[in-house]
Amino acid sequence: MNEEFLAAKELRKAFNGNVAVDVVSFSIMRKEIFGLLGPNGAGKTTTIRMMATVLPPDGGDVMVDGHSVLRHAGEVRKLIGVCPQELALYPELTALENLVFFGQMAGLGGKQAKEAAGENLLLVGLQDRAKDAVAKFSGGMKRRVNLAISLMSRPALLFLDEPTVGIDPQSRNHIFETVQRLRGEGMTVLYTTHYMEEADRLCDRLAIMDHGQLIAVGTPRELKAQIGQPEKVTLEEVFLSLTGRRLRD
Amino acid sequence: MSGLLRQAWVISLKDTRLFVRDRFALAFALAFPLLFVLGFTLALGNISSPDQPIVLRVATQEQEGISTQIIAALTAGEESVFQEIAYDEARLAVKHGRLGGFVAFPADFTASLLAGGKTRIEVVSRSEDPNRRAALEGFAHALAGQISLAREAVATVAALKARETGATPALDVGSLIQPTALVAMETEQVGPARPIRASNFTLPGYLTMFVFFAAAMGAEAVARERQTQTLERMLSNGVRRESILLGKYLSTAYRGLLQLAVLWIVGIFGFNVELGPEPVAVIAISVLMVLASAGFGIMLASLVNTVRSADSVGILTSIVLAPVGGCWWPLFIAPAWMQTLSKLTPHGWANSAFNKLMLFGAEPGNVAWEMTALALFGAGFVAVALWRFRMAPAR
Ligand SMILES: Nc1ncnc2c1ncn2[C@@H]1O[C@H](COP(=O)(O)OP(=O)(O)OP(=O)(O)O)[C@@H](O)[C@H]1O
Ligand SMILES: [Mg+2]
Repeated sequence: MNEEFLAAKELRKAFNGNVAVDVVSFSIMRKEIFGLLGPNGAGKTTTIRMMATVLPPDGGDVMVDGHSVLRHAGEVRKLIGVCPQELALYPELTALENLVFFGQMAGLGGKQAKEAAGENLLLVGLQDRAKDAVAKFSGGMKRRVNLAISLMSRPALLFLDEPTVGIDPQSRNHIFETVQRLRGEGMTVLYTTHYMEEADRLCDRLAIMDHGQLIAVGTPRELKAQIGQPEKVTLEEVFLSLTGRRLRD
Repeated sequence: MSGLLRQAWVISLKDTRLFVRDRFALAFALAFPLLFVLGFTLALGNISSPDQPIVLRVATQEQEGISTQIIAALTAGEESVFQEIAYDEARLAVKHGRLGGFVAFPADFTASLLAGGKTRIEVVSRSEDPNRRAALEGFAHALAGQISLAREAVATVAALKARETGATPALDVGSLIQPTALVAMETEQVGPARPIRASNFTLPGYLTMFVFFAAAMGAEAVARERQTQTLERMLSNGVRRESILLGKYLSTAYRGLLQLAVLWIVGIFGFNVELGPEPVAVIAISVLMVLASAGFGIMLASLVNTVRSADSVGILTSIVLAPVGGCWWPLFIAPAWMQTLSKLTPHGWANSAFNKLMLFGAEPGNVAWEMTALALFGAGFVAVALWRFRMAPAR
């Protein structure tokens, strides 16, 4: 458990002079669910995109299982799966077609991709809707397809960028249980969310980010202990006390 | 390498699936061009009687002179595109809408020409018929150029002869201005002139326009994929940017080939289009044109950022390049400067080759430059795409 799987080292990124990520370092242990929390615009998605090799950092590096995203992006890409904050899929295609396509993009053969797609649709509870166009799905179902796609490459490290945003408790709960099950199978997960009770229940360790900087890292209990008795305070109170009550964006 | 090709192939199949499910895209690529061909063929010539070619009417106000000789030369031969018409009758016919337009020589044409002065050729046309006006103006321009050339030649020969013999030579303008010579000048000497059946140039013109149009609209799909981050998702899966570009190139090319097949088949069986004596060369030009259009599509996809800019750039380039490249009216009746301008567009080269092969009976060797130019355009477009293609939107 205590083996470092990902190490972000002094990551920096600015867009047209506006600093989005400001010297961020942290590590994720193997088989851990690591929560990345922060208000809107804190820099979570930008950090994930750099870790996922799709956005080159202005400075710093990320090592995934010993491979640098700068120098060995190809190796890193074999290890990771990304579930982006936006629904990155083709609404006109069916759920099955979406999964098979991205499976083939991740290097699976046609037959392997179909098998994996069947398994992953079952995992997210969409096996009965496999042949329906995603455009006809509800918001929660689309989110589950988005998640299933990111599992097609059977990643060792999964980045989940707000996988439960804007969906009903049933779908949320389903995604939630799926993530726990994946961790049980040995997957390492980075999880981003605005739902504090979700992070509290799910994550082994958390980092709180604001204005592009990490302002706290620790287990939920350690973070709560910073402002009071861990049994009596909620993570939401910790979050608000650390990031302030001022509105963002 | 094989991974790259396999991924590109899978991407191109996915895009083709999306295309087939998109009814609007299908209609736009296949039904629109056919509607245009039908409309303009009906406007320019009667498609139900394929023997009725475009006819250009010429009139003169002179009783006797160079213009009557020119008209005799132009209208000679059974298959001539030109027909003589009496001046006053022609004016009246245009006024009452019975005639689209005509070209006329003034009463003092011979006199001012022989006096070494300037003369003019009149184009009379109904303003609401731009195609015919373009045809007539192009013809008048060509004729004017030809006549001044002939006058220079005659004057030089006359001067030489006069020095030798002291006699004044007879003027034989008719032998200098044969219809073949005239058409040859406009069409770069590719064979004997034949009557022009409207669908023989409207179809390749609109085919070219809509193949490029559909390819340009493909750029919008790429911009959308950039926005919805499906491209970024592929990148994080280990897909190379070159695979994505090649996949997009292939799917655009399949679309173009489908358009090609449908339009040629409907054209041949529905509009009596004739591919001419060298159908293989026509198909080769069509395929090169499609490959250039696929390059054009991925180049636009690399240059535009948002879906909106992709849309407007796609529409703008298509409706500017089409007329400049001779998709809306035949280039060989356009003035020289327009013919030169058309060479800046792949459309222009494609149409020039189609016209040579399908209207003027050219041999494959006559369109070697057009083939080379289309291949170079295609390669240039792909090079720009390889250089500029981004996976994520720049902000
Ligand atoms: N491609 C981009 N171009 C310009 N600015 C960007 C870009 N991506 C992010 N930003 C800016 O960087 C900052 C951090 O954005 P980021 O999306 O990483 O925040 P986030 O923590 O994921 O927020 P949210 O909770 O709303 O998803 C914001 O100010 C955002 O406007
Ligand atoms: Mg975000």
